[in-house]
Amino acid sequence: MSQKSLHLRLGTVVVLCALFLVFYAIPSFVFAPSNVGNIVLSPLFWPFVLAGLAGLVGAGLLASGVSSDDTPFEDADTGPSDGPAGWLRLLGLATIMVLVMVALPRLGMVWTSMLAFVACAFLFRTRHPMIAVICAIVVPLLLYAFFAHVAGVAIPQGHFVRLP
Amino acid sequence: MSLLDSLAAGFALVGNVEAFFMLFCGLIVGVVGGAIPGLSATMAVALTLPFTFAMTPINGILLLLGVYKGGIFGGSIPAILIKTPGTPASSATILDGHPLAERGEAGRALGMALYASCTADAVSNLALILFAGWLASFALNFGPPEFFALILFSLTIIAGVSGESLLRGALSALAGLLLATVGLDLIYGTNRFTFGDPNMMGGLNFIAVLIGLFAIPEIIAMAWNPVAHLGKTRALGKSRCSLADYLGSFKSIIRGSMIGVFLGSIPGIGAAPSAFLSYSEARRTSKNKANFGKGEIEGVAASEAGNNGVAGATLIPLLALGVPGDVITAIIIGAFMVHGLQPGPMMFVLNADIIYGLFIGLIVSSVFLLLVGSIAIRGFRFVADVPKRILMPGVLVLCIYGVFAVNNNIFDVGVMFVMGWLGYVMMRNRIPAAPFLIAFILGPLLEDNFRQSMLMSGSDPLILFRGPITWTFWTLTAITVVAITRSTLRQKVPLS
Repeated sequence: MSQKSLHLRLGTVVVLCALFLVFYAIPSFVFAPSNVGNIVLSPLFWPFVLAGLAGLVGAGLLASGVSSDDTPFEDADTGPSDGPAGWLRLLGLATIMVLVMVALPRLGMVWTSMLAFVACAFLFRTRHPMIAVICAIVVPLLLYAFFAHVAGVAIPQGHFVRLP
Repeated sequence: MSLLDSLAAGFALVGNVEAFFMLFCGLIVGVVGGAIPGLSATMAVALTLPFTFAMTPINGILLLLGVYKGGIFGGSIPAILIKTPGTPASSATILDGHPLAERGEAGRALGMALYASCTADAVSNLALILFAGWLASFALNFGPPEFFALILFSLTIIAGVSGESLLRGALSALAGLLLATVGLDLIYGTNRFTFGDPNMMGGLNFIAVLIGLFAIPEIIAMAWNPVAHLGKTRALGKSRCSLADYLGSFKSIIRGSMIGVFLGSIPGIGAAPSAFLSYSEARRTSKNKANFGKGEIEGVAASEAGNNGVAGATLIPLLALGVPGDVITAIIIGAFMVHGLQPGPMMFVLNADIIYGLFIGLIVSSVFLLLVGSIAIRGFRFVADVPKRILMPGVLVLCIYGVFAVNNNIFDVGVMFVMGWLGYVMMRNRIPAAPFLIAFILGPLLEDNFRQSMLMSGSDPLILFRGPITWTFWTLTAITVVAITRSTLRQKVPLS
């Protein structure tokens, strides 16, 4: 990846986002009372200013992209050695995160964390599976003990197995 | 309250085993966190933050300051032993530290790094104690227009944390400012980007945003390439740093400390430029100039003094003006807010005991750092041997617990995950995360003070230029913008 391609790509995305904000998102999702006398006091003012600035930065990125040379970054990420498996692991991690959100209120934080720990350790191809399983049990329990009994946080317990 | 009264109140607050124990624990966590490449001092501070919720404000903040100071020193250990800086601030230490390690003198380099760090830390703390109170008493005269001008000036700090491209830094900051508008409007109470969800009416949780931006992307990066972190560690060797080494480098250490204090007290400069400036000054004036870059012990001393001199000084704008000096102090602001404290000039009036308690704790931290650092140098092998593919799932679990604990709200965990992916996309596209976080903190303050000024003046913008204080900040902002533009153009990379 070179600075030219990066800035052209970013600039295009940012300009489109700025246009989306100005013409759709801000008018639709920012509400202002009808009796605001001066525009600078309106709740709409600040988001519009920021969207305008974003448009300027996007234009700046495009201009910079056009004028930059196409030399790749010296430390550019060449990706993992195992090719498409990297993308699959990213998808796997995203799935784990979604499942964590679904499972937290149902299984409780401790059990969900244990499963997430094991899943992540194996997703990262750990060379120490036994240590990973032991840590997956011990770490969430220790954190539960601290947050529930020392910090007084009501850690979600779930519908099935409840901890003291 | 007189100075003696404040000092006595500070002593009363920290004069117990628990406070010093927290400081000590913080230093250990920081040194370990800084010593693990990829974890960094910033992430260590962010991950420790949730543990402070249950503590008294002084203990919690001392714990975080310990992590901060320990992390900055800890970063030098892998820089010297495996040529991988634990924190960006330790990058300059590699230049002479690693060649020394390759010659079998890693123990000498690490010893010098420790002594230089402790000396610079003490100098920096002294500067904080001397200048923060003075600056705060001056800032008591500020009204909304003055604060608006100050915060606008502070936003120029984004240039200092933008890394290789000012435009990408500005983009990151704008994203942070936009995200900060989510929630109920400050004056009229109408919805802004809440999509009717009550969870979003109070705005996005600061802790969820910061942990999402700084910790989760590292976990995602581990999924992308699980073997990227594997490296080769050097042995300590038998040589140790002698008194002669220390005295021979003393001038560079003191000069580096002063550079660190000066640059650290200006918001946004950070430790890495200070370390490189200190290193280049030491090389310029040293009689062993030719040895620099090949394993010169004075080079290690200068770079470590430069980066540790910043640690105390970044707290000057934080405590006196409520403006974070760098990204770690931006996280520490979170700890103040969680405990219902607002850093800034009024804190010197309302919470003088906490301020002076922190000062006392910081003085002690330099001594503790010497102790913890000595042990850490010997124990680094154990730290380096922690399998990162087990560490990162642990970090994920810690993040889930920590973010949930802020508001007892699962929604915040979701915010953290979303911010994590955003942070990862930013990382892959070389967009720095630090401007995002700083803008996210300063954004509401900027808007609030702007609108208050407009209300005060009946929407007359001239109020933003009233009096010498606002003029000073406007001038400083203009000078900074001109300097940034000039330096960018000089690098022949037009506004990039």
